[in-house]
Amino acid sequence: MSEMYIHSASSFIGAENTEANFLKEKLSGYTEENFRRVNRFILLTLLGARQCIHNHALDFDTAIYLTTEHGNLGETASVLDEIYTAGSLPKPFGFINTMSNTAAFYLARNLGVRGRNIMVSSQHLSFERGLELMQVDFALGATGNALIGGVDEALLSRTALEKQTNRVFKMVNGSGWLYVKPVKDGACGAISEIRSFSDGHSCIKWLRERGRSNIDVVSFGALIDDDEVAAMKEILPSVAEFDYLCDYGYSGSATACGVSLFIMLFHGKTLLHISRDQRGHFAVIEVERY
Amino acid sequence: MKRRAFITGKAMICSLGDSLKEIVDAVRHKRIRLDRVPFTLASLPYSKPYYLIERNVTDRLHNRSEAYFYEVLFSAVSRAFLDAGLNKTEIKDMNVFFGSTSMDVPVFEGNHRKSSSTVSGTFLKSSYGYGKIAGAIVERFGIGGNCYSFATACTSSANALLYAAAMIEEGLIERALVVGYDLFNNLGFYGFEALKSIAETDYRPFDRTRDGLILGEACGAVILEGKRRKAGDFMHLGGANLCDTYSVTSHDEEGFAVAETMNRALRQAGILPGDICAVKAHATGTENNDRTECAAMRVTFGCEMPPVTCLKPFIGHTVGACGVNELILFTESVKTGFVPSTPGFREVDDKLNLTPLLENMEADEGIFMLNYFGFGGNCTTLIISNKGDRE
Repeated sequence: MSEMYIHSASSFIGAENTEANFLKEKLSGYTEENFRRVNRFILLTLLGARQCIHNHALDFDTAIYLTTEHGNLGETASVLDEIYTAGSLPKPFGFINTMSNTAAFYLARNLGVRGRNIMVSSQHLSFERGLELMQVDFALGATGNALIGGVDEALLSRTALEKQTNRVFKMVNGSGWLYVKPVKDGACGAISEIRSFSDGHSCIKWLRERGRSNIDVVSFGALIDDDEVAAMKEILPSVAEFDYLCDYGYSGSATACGVSLFIMLFHGKTLLHISRDQRGHFAVIEVERY
Repeated sequence: MKRRAFITGKAMICSLGDSLKEIVDAVRHKRIRLDRVPFTLASLPYSKPYYLIERNVTDRLHNRSEAYFYEVLFSAVSRAFLDAGLNKTEIKDMNVFFGSTSMDVPVFEGNHRKSSSTVSGTFLKSSYGYGKIAGAIVERFGIGGNCYSFATACTSSANALLYAAAMIEEGLIERALVVGYDLFNNLGFYGFEALKSIAETDYRPFDRTRDGLILGEACGAVILEGKRRKAGDFMHLGGANLCDTYSVTSHDEEGFAVAETMNRALRQAGILPGDICAVKAHATGTENNDRTECAAMRVTFGCEMPPVTCLKPFIGHTVGACGVNELILFTESVKTGFVPSTPGFREVDDKLNLTPLLENMEADEGIFMLNYFGFGGNCTTLIISNKGDRE
């Protein structure tokens, strides 16, 4: 695995009804650029990422990996309404912003970087898949430094999530980011493992073989059920649990927020984050906080 | 020796049909099929051209169902598996890389017609996210690998190809299914009209009289593997993706960011500009794209410009799906002995001074550059080859 050191982390979590103007005001603390014609998804992206790189000078070639479950939910719905309900052509910038990668564009422009600019999604494992893409680029030398984040607006409906889990979460807007380099000098942590499993048994087998050495904290994704949590805790006895979903709420990018919150809160610890998707695939991220 | 990713199977469905032989034959003879679609919802008194898939009478444009959406998708995927000659174990072992601009918006628009809810209400209530379509593919075909859904506007499926190839080359996966799929949707059709980007009658990229793009719908699926299956299978030699931060809708007309993407792809492929036999241009036919792309090719190739072909006049601008679908159109044409000419081109634009291929160019082997650009400044270049000595 290519060496991926975390040089900075940030998580912005906002209430379900967070207004765009509130986000703009918060963002003005990090940049003088006045953003017009941008929506909540773009503002969440900018705010989370700008918080993350606050005092870092970025290389021109820095890559941006934006992961998301739902992308630009709110503005896509508004543009559909303009066409179907109002019976008109949509406003040009409204339409352009339905393409959620515009958020990664505005971020690149604001930061003055021109590296890779990728937006990727994978049901409930979007952040993990983004980390894999970043890992490949590091291995190929296609990128040196990278900003990787997960951004999602609060779901206006719980229907889709409720079909997949019995757990009830507070819905939030989430934007969690890591600034990653292949060099250790100046780092505050490291991503030491990204691993996928096609089922729970393989994941549990790997956990057993791995043992609990070095692991101080464990956290679980939204779809891991009680039995799975119990089975994993049995393998990792007396390891503290960081229940970021209960403490901070759920968004499609809860994993990105959870991992970045860990970096912000747990100095000198190592986290094992375990997620699963709706078809029972598992993914593990191991993160060290120096 | 560096491990390579080979294109071992492919299938596509577009306005030219759903058999590769039929599609390549149409390209060889410059046959195109263009419909016109009215802007009924906005009560506008005109229509615009669109390259529509024609499958059967019951699935007319405004009578399409969710079942139709998945029937087109699964048909392309299953035929790509067949083309590669994959067995059940190999299919199970597959990883899915999906690229699209509209994702499942056509499904919501279709379902809305049968519901009392507003289309935005339907969308917000039942959105399972961008990963839904790739999820449906793995469920339908019993695929056990990972899913990656790319949403980078018109470079979406080109980026899906780039990363699928990279993961195979790095030895992280054995094989990948890469799908580019965009079906007609009013969000895109009305949106591009709002931008005044849609041409009036026909597609003329790089032409002095070009007046915009014409949208098309297509579903293309390719199989990438670490080993060549058949003689003549194309391989991925290299690629690059960069962000041009000039503007959210257009690229820097000097072409430097686009040229840098091309140059990085060449460097990653380990070749020089002079090794390129032909370029498949992105060539949307819009004023800015064609000017930028032309400038970038001049920066990259200087006065040694290779032959340039534009494929959108055959199947339309299939937005996020164009990465995979234009790759299929191009490689299948070369496999049958030619690089396609560009239909519709009539008059050289003095500001561009570029004439794309006007007649099919004989070629059955070579190294080729494929360019793709999109909203959000996204630039992607792929370098492919079917020369045996490049393995």
